[in-house]
Amino acid sequence: MPVLPIVVALVGNPNAGKSTLFNALSGLRQHVGNYPGVTVEMKKGDFVVDGRRVELIDLPGTYSLAARSPDEMVAVDLLLGRQPSEPRPDLIISVVDASNLERHLYLTTQLMELGVPVIVALNMIDMAKSQGITIDAERLAKSLQVTVVPIQANAGTGLDSLRAEIVRAADGGVAPAANLLPEPILRESEALHGSLNGEIPPFLARRLLLDVGGYTEQWLTAKRGPEWHQTLLDARLRLSESGCPVPAAEAKARYAWIRAATAMAITKPAIRPVSTTDRLDTILTHKLWGTLVFLALMFVVFQAIFVGAEPLMGAIDAVTKWLASLVEGVLPVGPLRSLITDGVITGVGGVIKFLPQILLLFAFIAFLEDCGYMARAAFLMDKIMSRCGLSGKSFIPMLSSIACAIPGVMAARVIENRRDRIATILVAPLMSCSARLPIYGLMIGAFLTVGRPFWLKGFTLFVMYMIGFLVAPIVALILKRTLLRGATPIFVMELPTYRRPSLKAILRRMFDAGWAFVRRAGTLILASMIIVWALLYFPNTDENGQKYEERIAAITEKAEATEGEDAKAEGEKAVNALRSEWKRTSLLGRVGRSMEPVFAPLGWDWKIGVAALASFPAREVIVGTLGILYQEGDIDSDEKKDQLQNTIRDRWSEDPIRGPYVVPIALSVMVFFALCCQCASTLAVIRRETKSWAWPAFTFAYMTILAYIGAFLTFQIGRWVVDHLS
Amino acid sequence: MLLPLDLLRAGEWADIAEVSGEPGFVNRLAELGLREGSRFCVVQPGIPCLLQLNSCRLCLRGSETTQILVRPVNGPVS
Repeated sequence: MPVLPIVVALVGNPNAGKSTLFNALSGLRQHVGNYPGVTVEMKKGDFVVDGRRVELIDLPGTYSLAARSPDEMVAVDLLLGRQPSEPRPDLIISVVDASNLERHLYLTTQLMELGVPVIVALNMIDMAKSQGITIDAERLAKSLQVTVVPIQANAGTGLDSLRAEIVRAADGGVAPAANLLPEPILRESEALHGSLNGEIPPFLARRLLLDVGGYTEQWLTAKRGPEWHQTLLDARLRLSESGCPVPAAEAKARYAWIRAATAMAITKPAIRPVSTTDRLDTILTHKLWGTLVFLALMFVVFQAIFVGAEPLMGAIDAVTKWLASLVEGVLPVGPLRSLITDGVITGVGGVIKFLPQILLLFAFIAFLEDCGYMARAAFLMDKIMSRCGLSGKSFIPMLSSIACAIPGVMAARVIENRRDRIATILVAPLMSCSARLPIYGLMIGAFLTVGRPFWLKGFTLFVMYMIGFLVAPIVALILKRTLLRGATPIFVMELPTYRRPSLKAILRRMFDAGWAFVRRAGTLILASMIIVWALLYFPNTDENGQKYEERIAAITEKAEATEGEDAKAEGEKAVNALRSEWKRTSLLGRVGRSMEPVFAPLGWDWKIGVAALASFPAREVIVGTLGILYQEGDIDSDEKKDQLQNTIRDRWSEDPIRGPYVVPIALSVMVFFALCCQCASTLAVIRRETKSWAWPAFTFAYMTILAYIGAFLTFQIGRWVVDHLS
Repeated sequence: MLLPLDLLRAGEWADIAEVSGEPGFVNRLAELGLREGSRFCVVQPGIPCLLQLNSCRLCLRGSETTQILVRPVNGPVS
């Protein structure tokens, strides 16, 4: 008969070293579990002890089982066996920090009431020792009446005995739950449990009674109505009258029990010695020095993301182009070749191109989190961020978005509060990312360089970046006051003790982030790339039914056959004209032309409109599309870019209606690109991170509207200025 | 003498006398060990502030700190 695997849940406070223990126990065999309707993920892994398979599940770090939101409820449901897709754990490992034992045991006492065997993994014994704290594990086990295993997860100490205890405890029975709550609470919760006819287990009935405004209360009140809610309030009132006011009574009872249970097992110095963390914090959390250190650190991080990732991104681009040319050499001219080269290869290349930035940013984030610095950064930035309704934890995701919104959105995972996290994710794409630089460069180069003051170039670029810096906090504030309104999150944050980060953990985080992006976002990005390719490709015949590709091939052949530079240039010109006509008559070209009245208030002609429409999957393609539409061919060198700049400047200036307003038009294009969400990758990642289509749809809608309004105002004000002031 | 937590200066010690406010907030603070009778030291005053509570360093934000009434004491052991 096959023996069933032992299912073990890993539970602990944030910073208890839970993830380190999880990685140490399960090695490389890990995968991520998702749950409908919530944004939390739980990692799962497995290993074998004495021929028994052990399935390990890593629950999100929490200070207590008093769930306040669906995200927090997932862990409680899982522990109670109420999560439909998961088996109930056979065993719980409660990971506690030995240097702060009483606080961490609070959660342990709640876990002990679940009716499942509990093993206390006494982690960070080394750190406790360095603070002069000694713990007698045997005595502690006796007074807590659970197995206690001292470990040092990051060094791998004590893991063998922990594995052995897992098998032993799973086969042994459950110790009766210690009765540490006062009698009136037990009595009231039993009565409550009875009145609900077994709808919830006794443990949840207790949480229902004790957690004022908690998730169970919200859920049952919505289900059973206000009359039922009154019975709950009555029960709490009775508790209050009998000297057990909710919620204070629970903390009081648990801490009193913990103090008694640990009194004989812990010895610690009366006065805490000054630790390395204390010394480091005098500088790192200092208002002036700490902020300077933080800014210097951010500068290094962004230099690395901007400059360090560049060669890799360039290499990926080169490989993409090389692959495309390889295919072009093999396949005959036609839709298949175009699909593979312009659609699939360019699409995949466009996705993979973001990987270097994502991996680099996550290496830094993992390093800063692992060593304990991230909480200090959040503390330093909290004052600024609270002005726009967010907390200090939103700072790094928003700043990261200046390089690229994709790693920025993913970095928002560090924010526990759901509303803050979503608000941060929704405004992150407003920050000017590096993919906006090509269009800024083109417009500034064409209209604001020649014959203008030397400082105007840099100033315009600065203004473009400032648009993101100013609009993002305003939108965040509006979102927090409307759609994402709710009680201000309780901002109590623990600053963990500094420790040496582990290379393994950092590599793990980098790999997870990269893989999540490629696998789940990649497919969506590719799909959207192919759709736009098709819209720009079909119909691929002219009005006489002749294929554009064949005509282009014929002209090229003829030009190559004839001698002389003039003929070649002539041929190239004809090809470019033909390609421009093809794009003009393509489906997207037709849509763009029919939408001219929509673009007119922005000062745009149909060419800019089509180029903007074609850039919705990836904004950086605008320069290439403009190149084709203005008959300059592929923009693959700086020389070609200069030429395109000149062509655009000449054509716009020649236009009888738009001619005088070229600068307002250029600014309107730039403002549109600064505010618009033209990035399928970002939307796909938002979908991935929020587990909902509604948020990416909302982001797309609000940013497009904002971009339109912004471009409209820019052009109209610009036109007024030109008409009246010059 | 009782005073709100935000009036303490860096390095001052105090016992928590009373935490008022929304029950969920009071409970979360209690779970973290910030409850009546806990002794702590102010590491960084202001908004937000940093507190040392046993071996745990906590960061608390503005409006919450005014809802915590404390009784100043001379040091870690009285």
